[in-house]
Amino acid sequence: MRKRETNTGRKPLSGFESEQRHVPNTMSRRDSLKWLSLITAGGVAAVTSGVSSTLLAAQVAHQDSGHWPAHKLTPVSAKGYGKDPNLIMPPETPWPLIMTANELVLITLLCDIIVPKDGNTPSATELQVPAVINEWVSAPYDWQQRDRVTIMHLLAWLNDEAKLEFQLGFSACSRSQQIAIIDNIAYLNDTTPPQFSRPAQAFGRLRELVLAAFFTTPAGMKDIGYLGNVPINGDYPGPTEEAFAHLDNILDELGLSEYKYNT
Amino acid sequence: MSTEQHEIVVVGSGAGGAMAAYVLAKAGHKVLMLEAGRDYNPKTETPMFNTNSQAPLMGSGNKDKDFGFYDATVDGGWSVPGEPYTTGKNSDFFWWRSRMLGGRTNHWGRYSLRFSEHDFKGKSRDGLGADWPFEYNDIAPWYDKTEALVGVCGTNTGLDDMPDSSEGILQPPPTPRIPELLIAAAAKKHGIELAPMHRAVLTRPIDDRLACFYATPCGRGCSIGAAFQTTTSLIPMAKATGNLEIITDAMVSEIEVDDKGRPIGIKYIKKPTGKAHKINAKVIILAASACESARIMLNSRSKQHPNGLANSSKQVGRNIMDSTGAGLGVMIPALKGRPRYNEDGHTANHLFIPWWGHKAQANKELDFPRGYHFEIGSGFRMPGTSVAGDLQGYGPELKQTAKDNYGTYLSLALRGEMLPNDNCYMEIDKEVKDKWGINVVKFHWKWSKHEFNQVKHGLQTAKLLFETMGATVNKLPSPEEAILKGGQIIHEVGATRMGNSPKDSVTNEWGQTWDCDNLFVMDGGVFASNPHKNCTLTIMTLAMRNASWLSTQLNEVGEGDKYAQA
Repeated sequence: MRKRETNTGRKPLSGFESEQRHVPNTMSRRDSLKWLSLITAGGVAAVTSGVSSTLLAAQVAHQDSGHWPAHKLTPVSAKGYGKDPNLIMPPETPWPLIMTANELVLITLLCDIIVPKDGNTPSATELQVPAVINEWVSAPYDWQQRDRVTIMHLLAWLNDEAKLEFQLGFSACSRSQQIAIIDNIAYLNDTTPPQFSRPAQAFGRLRELVLAAFFTTPAGMKDIGYLGNVPINGDYPGPTEEAFAHLDNILDELGLSEYKYNT
Repeated sequence: MSTEQHEIVVVGSGAGGAMAAYVLAKAGHKVLMLEAGRDYNPKTETPMFNTNSQAPLMGSGNKDKDFGFYDATVDGGWSVPGEPYTTGKNSDFFWWRSRMLGGRTNHWGRYSLRFSEHDFKGKSRDGLGADWPFEYNDIAPWYDKTEALVGVCGTNTGLDDMPDSSEGILQPPPTPRIPELLIAAAAKKHGIELAPMHRAVLTRPIDDRLACFYATPCGRGCSIGAAFQTTTSLIPMAKATGNLEIITDAMVSEIEVDDKGRPIGIKYIKKPTGKAHKINAKVIILAASACESARIMLNSRSKQHPNGLANSSKQVGRNIMDSTGAGLGVMIPALKGRPRYNEDGHTANHLFIPWWGHKAQANKELDFPRGYHFEIGSGFRMPGTSVAGDLQGYGPELKQTAKDNYGTYLSLALRGEMLPNDNCYMEIDKEVKDKWGINVVKFHWKWSKHEFNQVKHGLQTAKLLFETMGATVNKLPSPEEAILKGGQIIHEVGATRMGNSPKDSVTNEWGQTWDCDNLFVMDGGVFASNPHKNCTLTIMTLAMRNASWLSTQLNEVGEGDKYAQA
């Protein structure tokens, strides 16, 4: 994957048109990263005047540490919902939504890669998860604004990566090209190549949010098997026979049967 | 400034204030209640059954709603706009406030455990902290009365840390859930018993309060009155006597005294207008919360009370104690893919782990003097932002992993007793005023080795239990890393402690200040120690006992009415 040569017939980076002479159009991904590190490390403003704003400031100190965009995000100026919102009828749009159409397209693609349609269960996108992510990154609170930085950088990274690999924006790539990129960042462990660790962390945070937004919907709650939030007439019935039998097996396997709690 | 004359003024409408007002109003006394926050009606304002997807940000918390969108707290939390507090050097302290009728009772955990004989006489036992000015047996009948009035579910266990209630007092507890039963077996292997939690949640109806229908987290408040809060119980009951008048949005600034130093009136700011008002009263009961009551007293300086009102002992603002808090959580692989059923129950612990170490402490086998209990986090809870956690991959496999893991996470939250120490106190910040022009509180905080040793023991115990259940536990944090900040458990008490002597305490056993016989404190400020068992039941019990005593005193008046004004 990392060794793949770029298609020589295309411009390696869409923002480089005016300075194409500095970018050999046959260079490998590794070479392009090297080149990128040179321009950022050296601060060669004249050379980089046509570079996309996200790549312009990419902080690449070493070829193996990969690329990571440096977005300058405008702070959100909205107020929160305050300390006494209506809890019965929560505000539907508590603050202005900030994601652009392109960003939403990208988020929608990612949502359905993370949680695709599954039998009769709708996909994350069908359950409006992209709108929840948009509300989240638009929220004027510290936690959400930290997530916004993470997610917006991830989106920019995906585009940059897609351009380096396939000379296309992420959403213009084929499904298999998109999956090839996601495969590199979907698993963060000891063997994750260093250049993918940052985007993998960011993808992990987005994945966590997408799963939460999915499972909190009525269809998602049903899918995960949440059976509560219904009024019970009379005493709480407690575990089912099946649940008790399952527990008995666990106690047996753990050697705890003799310590069973007597109700 | 207008002035009115009243018999009894109660400052605060939470656990202590509402109970005092109810007892006195029921006994025929005219009571005026001042509440700093707005009026609040759980019957119309509680988001029963709302799901997280209906709330902004999937219901998660932020600086506006610290405990999540649906938490009942109004105009409060760790910060109150325009009403700051400050902290001393190297001191972390968090102060939770609610600015609403009913105060923090609208969202509390409803855990209602009696203090035991050990708890009232800690100093006699280990020489640390302070004894209470009475014994367990003196207060036991009042616990019965309070539990019967409030409605507490649980059982008599006979465990030495859980005194029995009288026959017929407790309501039946809900049946335990699977993860609780698993922990119970693991703990029993190590000689540790689990017990049904006692909670102020009705499992049988009382008056117009319905029994729990086992849905909707109690922290949102309870529109059917099953989960106890003063706004569905004591306050409407007190109002029904015709003897209670309430002024909301009334921020008390200070208490005025006469030439002899005797309290005669209360000054407050009516928030919507910002105008100052004054009320004259025969008896003043402070129940504004431990630190807010102490703040009012310390801000009420006069020639006769140069250190603040009723502070000849210089103990007002001292001896603040929170509960210790620390938590450990793991995934239990054996619980993966377990059979689904409705695990909401009364939405909190059905079983918990009471303190099991009194004998070990008596035998000097432990390196910390006071006990703790564990609360259990588990269950198939309504999905929220942490439903899946940090997983790997994408697509159908990812979703299957999330579903398999659902209901496999267990956590044990330690809640322990801390000892008072000279580094934990509050004072008035002379530099900072709130938006009402009232000087704010400055907190000082430092845990001692007693708390760190206790937390260390708790973490090791939690690890042992998790490993017994087949889980892998990573390296434990140090107690210094694990212990939560002062105030974060929201059990801060002791700022106006009671005792046997005016030299080292602020009030007598009736919550009556030693220096002013018509000034009472009936919130958690009077606690002489802070046992690990959650303070609210004992705040209410003391308020019931002490308001009853006050009523007797008021009824005994004749010519020499000791509460009459000069």
